[in-house]
Amino acid sequence: MNLVRALFSTAILLTASATTSAHFLVVHTPEMLLGRSANIDMSIVFTHAFDGGPTMDLPGIENFYAMQKKAGDDDLTRIDLMDYLEPVQWGHAEGKSAFVAAIPRNAMRSLGDYQVVVEPQPYYEAEEDIYIQQITKVIMNVGGAPTNWDATLGLATEIQSLNKPYTNWVGGVFRGVVLSSGEPVPFAEIEVEYLNYNPNFEDRRFDADASIEAPLPGYEHVSVRTDASGTFSIGLPKAGWWGIAALGVGPATEHEGKELSQDAVLWVQAKEIN
Amino acid sequence: MKNSIALAALMLSLPAAAHSPLFDCFDNGDSTATCEGAFSDGGPAAGVGIRVELASGRVLMQGQLDEASSYTFDIPDEEYSVYFEAGEGHEIVLFGDEIY
Repeated sequence: MNLVRALFSTAILLTASATTSAHFLVVHTPEMLLGRSANIDMSIVFTHAFDGGPTMDLPGIENFYAMQKKAGDDDLTRIDLMDYLEPVQWGHAEGKSAFVAAIPRNAMRSLGDYQVVVEPQPYYEAEEDIYIQQITKVIMNVGGAPTNWDATLGLATEIQSLNKPYTNWVGGVFRGVVLSSGEPVPFAEIEVEYLNYNPNFEDRRFDADASIEAPLPGYEHVSVRTDASGTFSIGLPKAGWWGIAALGVGPATEHEGKELSQDAVLWVQAKEIN
Repeated sequence: MKNSIALAALMLSLPAAAHSPLFDCFDNGDSTATCEGAFSDGGPAAGVGIRVELASGRVLMQGQLDEASSYTFDIPDEEYSVYFEAGEGHEIVLFGDEIY
């Protein structure tokens, strides 16, 4: 009887574990802030960030670009990065479709901010019979001159940063505004998840060892809602990358006759104070 | 070479203070190099002085960053350095072998 109970409990825990970790489009490079311009290796993987899997087949990428503003410029410049995309199989065991990009130094060499945007094709989630499209931003900087990290880009949906996403201390707070068609979204549902397995660009897989352990599956993501003005705040208790996903906030609600969850994702990085 | 490393480290550490000058140069691959400047508050560095100096101390070129806060010059055949003249105590030097 005890064995049956133990197995039953384990099954419940496994079920809970499988459902608590959220989908995240991981758009990763080792450092968001570069002291000097450098070649940038980027991994683009649709997965569950805290668990490092299961990874989903990313059907394709519609747009991949960076919005740059040099110091003193009035306007943003679009740097198209599509030519650097390379489809890969991510993860030795799973072998799911993902992308990497080896972006040469010259593409993003000037001092200032670069809002890197990935607009993926919608992914069909069979279990829920819906499509998911996570429009994702990673804000990088070269040389330390802040220029457009807080700019909105006019995306269908996006998270506007109220703190610099690439210079956060552990223990600090990150704030942002969730926007849909340029308008703040009040009381939007947000999931926050730690990137617990380091993406290994060279090996096309996540590293085997997790950085942290959740005491219970429920701790794998933090749930937050925006306030009445569309603003949210989160804490950053651990060094590394934190993903922020505002769920179903985009204006598109249907794709190929099925429900579409058009999400806005932003990644932020925190460093230890030594 | 030790001086070069020390100065490069200084350059990278400068952005930490408010309104510090920032500066970098790139080899364009066509025997020219382009230097760009900015300030750590995101402000432009148009009009800031720049000079290209040989190891002998002879000033080869002298000018100012243009409206785009940049300055392009022909790379000298001999050992050289680029100086970003962002005011007293704010001069940044980049050695030729650090420009790639």
